[in-house]
Amino acid sequence: MTNMTSYPKATLEEYGYKDYSKFKLPAKIFKNFLFILIFIMLYLAIIVIALQSVNSSVRTSEFLSVTFNWYPNILQEEDLMTAIRNTFIVSFIATFIATVAGTFFAVGLYSLEKKKRQKVMLMNNVPMLNADIVTGFSLMLMFRLLMPIFPNIFGLFTLVMAHLFFTFPYVVLSVMPKLKETDPNLMDAALDLGIKPYKALIKVVIPAIKAGIFSGMLLALTMSIDDFVISYFNTGAGFDNLSIWIYGVIGRRNLTPSVYAFSTLLTLFTLAGLLGYTFIQHSKKGKKSELK
Amino acid sequence: MGKVFKVLATPYQIWLYILVFVPLIAMVLIGMSNYDSSVSLNQIELSLNHWSILWQSQNLIAFRNSVVFAILTTLISIFLGYFAAYHIFQSKFKNKFIILTIVILPMWSNLILRVDALNNIFSQNNIFSSILGFSPFGNISGTPLAILIGLVFTYLPFMILPVYTALEKIDYALQEAALDLGLTPFKKFWKVIFPLSLKGVVTGSIMVFLPTLAGFAIPKILGKGNYLFIGNVIENKLLSSTIFYNHGSLLAVVILIFILGSILLLTRFDKEGETLL
Amino acid sequence: MKKLFLMVVLLLVAFGIAGCDNRPVLNILNWGEYINDEVVENFEEEYGINVKISVADSNELFYSKIKSGTTPFDLVIPSDYMIEKMVEEDMLFELDYSLLPNFDDVTYMDGVEQIFDSMTATTLARNGQTVDYKEYMVPYFWGTFGIIYNNRVDGLEESLEANGWATYFDAATYFPTARRGMYDVPQMAYAAAMFYRGLNPNDYSATLLEQVRQDITTANFTEWGDDMLKRNVESDNLDMAFTYTGDYLDRLYIQLAEGKSLEEVRSEFDIYIPNNTLVFIDAMVIPETAQHVDRAHQFINYLLDPEVVALNSEVVGYATALEEAYDIIISYADSTDEEKRNWAQANLIYYNKERQGEFYPMTTLSAQAIDAITSMIQQVLTE
Repeated sequence: MTNMTSYPKATLEEYGYKDYSKFKLPAKIFKNFLFILIFIMLYLAIIVIALQSVNSSVRTSEFLSVTFNWYPNILQEEDLMTAIRNTFIVSFIATFIATVAGTFFAVGLYSLEKKKRQKVMLMNNVPMLNADIVTGFSLMLMFRLLMPIFPNIFGLFTLVMAHLFFTFPYVVLSVMPKLKETDPNLMDAALDLGIKPYKALIKVVIPAIKAGIFSGMLLALTMSIDDFVISYFNTGAGFDNLSIWIYGVIGRRNLTPSVYAFSTLLTLFTLAGLLGYTFIQHSKKGKKSELK
Repeated sequence: MGKVFKVLATPYQIWLYILVFVPLIAMVLIGMSNYDSSVSLNQIELSLNHWSILWQSQNLIAFRNSVVFAILTTLISIFLGYFAAYHIFQSKFKNKFIILTIVILPMWSNLILRVDALNNIFSQNNIFSSILGFSPFGNISGTPLAILIGLVFTYLPFMILPVYTALEKIDYALQEAALDLGLTPFKKFWKVIFPLSLKGVVTGSIMVFLPTLAGFAIPKILGKGNYLFIGNVIENKLLSSTIFYNHGSLLAVVILIFILGSILLLTRFDKEGETLL
Repeated sequence: MKKLFLMVVLLLVAFGIAGCDNRPVLNILNWGEYINDEVVENFEEEYGINVKISVADSNELFYSKIKSGTTPFDLVIPSDYMIEKMVEEDMLFELDYSLLPNFDDVTYMDGVEQIFDSMTATTLARNGQTVDYKEYMVPYFWGTFGIIYNNRVDGLEESLEANGWATYFDAATYFPTARRGMYDVPQMAYAAAMFYRGLNPNDYSATLLEQVRQDITTANFTEWGDDMLKRNVESDNLDMAFTYTGDYLDRLYIQLAEGKSLEEVRSEFDIYIPNNTLVFIDAMVIPETAQHVDRAHQFINYLLDPEVVALNSEVVGYATALEEAYDIIISYADSTDEEKRNWAQANLIYYNKERQGEFYPMTTLSAQAIDAITSMIQQVLTE
């Protein structure tokens, strides 16, 4: 009888295991470092804008001293306020319509046969991926050709239409995946209980896809609020939004630092709003688990 | 879902058909006409005289510049963007929402303000040099490097989001299976995760490539007008005091061919457009 | 979501509350930040008229707003080439000088007179019609173009004063390493190059284009932009640029407001105005579609009063068109108010009425010309 235990044991290395553990720490440091670097990349411009907003000098090449005066000064700048107001009007109207109608469109698309749906989804991509300048310009051409019939077409109407054109796809794309995730039996159950289809839609399906609707709305708002090129081509009657105004001012006159202040405020406000929303969500979830 | 809801899709289909095709047809037609701001609507006629702009040296060079920068930006974005998305994916499985927020947030600031801010710190004497005593970016304003950096900084979010979305969709069971079968973490990534996330990479690449290809603001500001991109050429045709609708349309159609090609490519990988977010 | 909605509603309400006014109305379309509110208030008090000012920031926008007629403006203040276009399309009302008594007591600056002559000449060349533009417009502000330069570079100032345009264009001979900038407007680059050769910037021909191409290539511009040009020279990121004189004064006033003295600022960056250079003028015109022509005339007459013009130009950095207003402004050179002193000095140096020179405004060139010039510039860029 041979003694089994006297055979040499195979080591992990001979099986092909390579010990990389000494790379673990430097790799971790490198990864975190790179990640922070990427983070800085994304926010560098924002930081510079924030700095300019508290710079007491109107000149952007030198930092004189810290001041917060540019913030209340926003209200004093009439042109700026008009541009801001216009931006909000257009973006809120467009986002609202896009979210509501877009959700219903998504439901409709979801109900189509696969082939038809894919065809429509293909066209759905066009507004999102098409170059701003091509979209803006081609829409303008189309509206121009309508001018003999509607001479005053250019203005809020064309602007909203143009914004709807590129915001609908985002809502549709946000809602569709959520629709797919909902339990198909949900709808059947509601119908079985005697609810009319549309009521069931509103009372059962919409709450289920709430998250998709919300992120779609957010995306639509983001895309709409900063749009320049498409708005520039499709506005009229001097209905300038903020982007158009900045483009005009930055080339001719001196840009008031209040614009930087406004931009920073917008960033902070959005951040606070969204973090606040997440917070509420979490505390809601926490409460739910407490109830159990 | 009930078949009764099919009718909800019809208005959107009509909307898309009209707003996608009519403007495009208008553009193609104008590209073959003599329409510019010195011509009134009833004087428009067919004309191919201006098609010579397609092989004018500056336009060819502009096109080359756009393509080269678009490719470079996309490659760098894939590398950095995938890394960032993967890093987030690996660490905390928290609310996707926070990620969306943080990555999207810079896009709420006006693009021109942001690019102008970058241009500021790319010059020799800028706000950072005033505070720190030296310019961290040296004096790269007006160089191709500045344009490239600006493009990457601006469009990185467009890569991070789709890749992250694609990563999130990977069934965790597959990862466990891979580890169970004895793959090292590295091999697991390369053979299992990366192929499954390819959808996101393709989407992200397209979402970075296309705006970069047609963009004009970033090259103009960061390149100090020294480098001509096809977007600048089109911008000149359409946004100056004399508007050449026909020239602009023609060039736009050329870019459009690129764009439509990319959209078709995308639908091969991602039929439902899931990763476009 | 609800909160956002509420905020929107509140904002809209806040902005929607418009003042209710029963006074007679005057609708003016002007550039942004281009009029002293005090002047408007004084006018409103004196004449009991409610002045409503709308803003547009490009001549093309002025044009389309008048054409569309959604708001019938009584008084508009476009620039030279746009006025030429509007007259050609019969969009303007001929002024009734019997309603402008102040006109007889004022003298236009020499540069302004030259602008009128030039506009008449270019119109004649373009469509064979002789137009006396004084029939349609009363000058509002005008300005010259100059070469803004970085005075921190040794010898640059002296070279400009000795050699003029050559210092700017001939990079091979003068300051080869200097960083030169030019406006991103092809027609302006063309004009500058024509001035360098002592020619009329509104002359265009293929041969001239080739010469301009040579000059622009030699100049070796490192920056093509707009607003950034003046800011970069100011912050020592650029050495020379062809810009509006008003651009320089904008930055000058900012620096003065931040506490520097006139000499200090001029030692850092200054502007050289060549003897032959580009000018522009913004003038008051009355569209055919105006509803209150008499009130518009009253306003124009008001702005032909040198005192009013001097007050107006306190806020706007461009040159006044009236010699009498200029005299009032430079009389402040003895003022105890430092701001007024600086302002008077600036006018004395940069907008001196005694200044002799050849001034031309840019006119509208044909579409083909613009296209050819643009292509040429782009070719120089890409080589």
